[in-house]
Amino acid sequence: MTALLSIRDLVVNFHGGPEPRTLIDRVSVDLAKGEILGLVGESGSGKSLLCRAVMGLLPSRRLSVDGGSVMLEGRDLVRASTADMLSVRGREIGMIFQNPTSHLDPVMKIGDQIAEGIRFHEGAGGREAREAAVEMLAKVGFPDPSRQYDSYPHEFSGGMRQRAMIAAALSCRPKILIADEPTTALDVTIQAQILELLLDLRESLGLSVILITHDLGIVAQTCDRIAVMRGGRLVEQGPKREVLAAPRHDYTRMLIGSHPSLPAAGEAKPAAAHRQARPLLEVDDLHVRFDVGGSFLRFGGRKQVSAVKGVSFQVMEGDTIGIVGESGSGKSTLARAILGLTPLSSGHVTFDGVDLAQQPGRALAKLRRETAMVFQDPLNALNPRFTVAETLGEVLKVNGMPSADIPGRIDELLDLVHLGREFAGRKPRSLSGGQCQRVGIARALAVNPRLIIADECVAALDVTIQKQIVDLFAELKARMNLTLLFIAHDLAIVRNLCERVLVMYHGEVVEDGPSAEIFARPQRPYTAALIGAVPDIDPDKKLLAPRSDTAPAAA
Amino acid sequence: MSAPAVRLPVSRGLSRWLGEHLSLLAGAGILAFFILLALAAPLVAPYDPVAQMADVRLQPPSLAHPFGTDNFGRDVLSRVIWGTRIDLQIAFIGVAFPFVIGTLLGTVAGFFGGIVDTVFMRVIDIILAFPFLVLMLSIIAILGPGLASFYIAMALVGWVSYARLVRAQILVLKNSDYAVAAVSLGFSRARIMFRHLLPNAIAGSLVFVMSDAVLVLLNGAAISYLGLGVQPPTAEWGIMVAEGQPFVTTAWWITLFPGLSIVFLAFAFSLLGDALGDLLGVHE
Amino acid sequence: MHRYKFVLYRPLQLLPVLFGISVITFVLVRLIPGDPARVLLGTRATPTAIARIREQYGLDEPIWLQYFYFIENLGRGEMGKSILYKIDVLKLIATRIEPTLMLVLTSVVLSILIALPMSAIAARCQGRLPDHAVRIVSTMGIGFPPFWLALMLIIFFSVQLDLFPVSGYGETIPEKLWHLALPSLTIALSLSAVITRSLRAAMIHSLRSDVATAARARGMPEGIVFWRHVLPNSLVPTINLLAVNIGWLIGGSVVVESVFALPGMGQLLVRAIFSRDYMVVQGVAMVFACATVLVNFLADIITVTVDPRVKL
Repeated sequence: MTALLSIRDLVVNFHGGPEPRTLIDRVSVDLAKGEILGLVGESGSGKSLLCRAVMGLLPSRRLSVDGGSVMLEGRDLVRASTADMLSVRGREIGMIFQNPTSHLDPVMKIGDQIAEGIRFHEGAGGREAREAAVEMLAKVGFPDPSRQYDSYPHEFSGGMRQRAMIAAALSCRPKILIADEPTTALDVTIQAQILELLLDLRESLGLSVILITHDLGIVAQTCDRIAVMRGGRLVEQGPKREVLAAPRHDYTRMLIGSHPSLPAAGEAKPAAAHRQARPLLEVDDLHVRFDVGGSFLRFGGRKQVSAVKGVSFQVMEGDTIGIVGESGSGKSTLARAILGLTPLSSGHVTFDGVDLAQQPGRALAKLRRETAMVFQDPLNALNPRFTVAETLGEVLKVNGMPSADIPGRIDELLDLVHLGREFAGRKPRSLSGGQCQRVGIARALAVNPRLIIADECVAALDVTIQKQIVDLFAELKARMNLTLLFIAHDLAIVRNLCERVLVMYHGEVVEDGPSAEIFARPQRPYTAALIGAVPDIDPDKKLLAPRSDTAPAAA
Repeated sequence: MSAPAVRLPVSRGLSRWLGEHLSLLAGAGILAFFILLALAAPLVAPYDPVAQMADVRLQPPSLAHPFGTDNFGRDVLSRVIWGTRIDLQIAFIGVAFPFVIGTLLGTVAGFFGGIVDTVFMRVIDIILAFPFLVLMLSIIAILGPGLASFYIAMALVGWVSYARLVRAQILVLKNSDYAVAAVSLGFSRARIMFRHLLPNAIAGSLVFVMSDAVLVLLNGAAISYLGLGVQPPTAEWGIMVAEGQPFVTTAWWITLFPGLSIVFLAFAFSLLGDALGDLLGVHE
Repeated sequence: MHRYKFVLYRPLQLLPVLFGISVITFVLVRLIPGDPARVLLGTRATPTAIARIREQYGLDEPIWLQYFYFIENLGRGEMGKSILYKIDVLKLIATRIEPTLMLVLTSVVLSILIALPMSAIAARCQGRLPDHAVRIVSTMGIGFPPFWLALMLIIFFSVQLDLFPVSGYGETIPEKLWHLALPSLTIALSLSAVITRSLRAAMIHSLRSDVATAARARGMPEGIVFWRHVLPNSLVPTINLLAVNIGWLIGGSVVVESVFALPGMGQLLVRAIFSRDYMVVQGVAMVFACATVLVNFLADIITVTVDPRVKL
């Protein structure tokens, strides 16, 4: 196999402290022509940094490549001059990034950002470059490229922005594309479309691709080979099927084990058999509308958007219910409305027999005492000035616990979420994301809640941490008979944790039923599209990208 | 690691700490110097700041009068030292009232929102429409010249910036997850407002205090320079510049030194503001 | 272009602010203790003049009716006569607008000419000597009292070099600009310090931003990255900063006009305060406030033009 790009013993050091710190430790990896290489690892593994080093774009002056080589067709990029690198970047290696919104220039027309490279690298004139850029826009799936050339990034959805970034990166027909988490910020159906586009482009342009991702499912679906990184080292690499079927390294095995996968149809857990007479929570024809813009002096009248439209469901004591949907489906608004944090426009939320719309005072008091919420961003959910003990202690104090009992209860709570007692004195900033989330869960448990609503509470975490938190929820659920509303966009996690699932789309519940049932036989095309778009870790379960005209997510 | 190898990083760490906090040290140092000077004015000033000595009028700097003398034969150095008292007072009082008033009003408006907030913001818009110095001068014109008028005008006008700043912060923090968590756990409004939001919102205003001190100092001195603040023969830097203006071509020292004092005191506040911004992670 | 629709309805939204401005200017003068007619006309007013002003402003009527008369007079373009100049205040102010406007404009242009290269050099040499120098100079420059800086510039440019005049204005445009050289340099040195600090920070932020990284990853040289991506993205916050600082700028012009005896609105205000010509104080404060509102409106239009995301 002749490698197009060959990285040998690459070392990147950080020169900040008294001793240089090694962030990339003698990594060697090859990329063959026409190949898609999946570079997998969790945050801090050095996978992005490795690609920045290849491009000669280290993010800080304190970082430097201190050893090894990056050979591209006989030239060593590590030793290339600044001027030579200018012609490598964009012309021979293109790069796209995780967040298209922040990487596209907000004040420059999308077409100009693509034409810019064509003009600089190929010396094309204004009109020529424009034509080439329009052609590129068409290639990545813009329906009306000559008009959309003149639009600005903010006028497009996240998926279209990512397409524009791909167009800009490929405008000078590079041989290699480095894609750094290109779909992480996108909804799952859009993700499937972008991945399909990348596969198409590989075929039509003969591209070689390095795909950086944390999601083994994406690798399984799109890549030819896998390289697994951890802590700046390459722990394992090989052909996709070999690595996935027979991982040699423990860490790879753990990654594969942590990956949330949809179980094969049929092996459904039986739903809880016994049913109480009265539901703990009842939501009936709930509507939540927001005013957008429209101050009292602005013309054009008040505009309203409906975030939740006529949602009804019941939750029994001890249920674990998953609410899934893409961004903008109204699932978070629903959660906040249930807890009385967002005013209801119409309909009813009845918690333990008390109606929030009819007896707001009593219902709110009850909700505050008997429910709790766990948030998406674990760091932002904790007051940065409070220690863990202060955060937990405050909840206990406000709930009237005598101060003598508080330290003991704090220890109990920390034990419950498997956090060492020595964490009591630490502040959120000195904790990892997973640890912060455990504190958040401990805080929720402090009130002895009858209902916990977890809003995307694992979305910001690495997969191995994700697995730990989901396991913690499963354990707490079994031990304490918790009632849990688990909101997530990740279907596999919901499938594994929840007995029942509600699928939301544009503010409505489009499907509601036992998880096993819905995942095996979705009734609505939207649900089917959603399930089909989840990249499975089994390479043989093909990804189904929804056609763009049926693609539901707008934002 | 062996013992000598440990010592090196420690000393290097100290020098790096000094390098990173240079503006903090320099700013605090200059400010401390001026505060000491103000406190010890009677002890360190060589002459009476208002004593007129007819025989030493318009003397250039010399050993007897390091900063020279003015047209009344008053010692410029002594006047600059005594002026420290007034100008520091202008900066401190001129910042303190607006800070307290503005922070409280801004917190309340941002937290409760709704009609209170709307009315409040309109009032702020209207006050901000007037150029600061013009509104100050107009109020002083009505109240009559003097330092007391200046402080009253400051309290009437200066709170606006703090209120806006804190309100904007509170609006952001109010929607942060930890504030929502506090609401969902049934904490009282007062607890959320003063224990959770205000301590996190105030960092920005603490940094602004320093740049505001510069503005207040310059405006206070400018008002005195125009003859509407501190009245003669009191030693104050702004009025000293005004008194030296007719002699600026022949006796430059009368204007140079009080002006430089303002520059250095303002520099100290700016440096402290930058350092505080870095420490608290706030950038304007 | 419906993004510019606000140009039509924003003036209506500004009505409450203009109303507030008129209330404040109205109240300013009524707060002075004593007979308002005497306050407005000065101590040597004749009884007939006092009677006339009583009638014109309805000074014996309730306060809200007085405010109504005040607005009615404003509608006719009258605020009352200046004691000192014996003509209507608004007409008087109209003759003083040009020097102040020229001073403000030349100061802004000059400070941008100073600030742009300074911040560009600092940002591109971040952490090295030129950057440290720019940071120290701009941090210090903020604290320069304009009245003192003006005198220092006079010593250097007028007394030592004999380049520019120390006071007055002129008739022709070159003459005016020549007279404005030192006054606008005084303001520009302070203003450019403010702009430099903000622009430098914005540029450094943009140089490290994802937008710049993405442009570099497309093989764009630093020059293109800087001029086509970093600079446009740094300008938006700076335009807002300039608009916010218009009040500060006007304050500076008041002081500087007094130092250089420039016949503008600032000098008029200070003289009026000393001669207790309250009609003029009231008028100048109101015109300055309206000018500030207008400048912020213009800044909004520029922001919408520069930044396609902004919707007002």
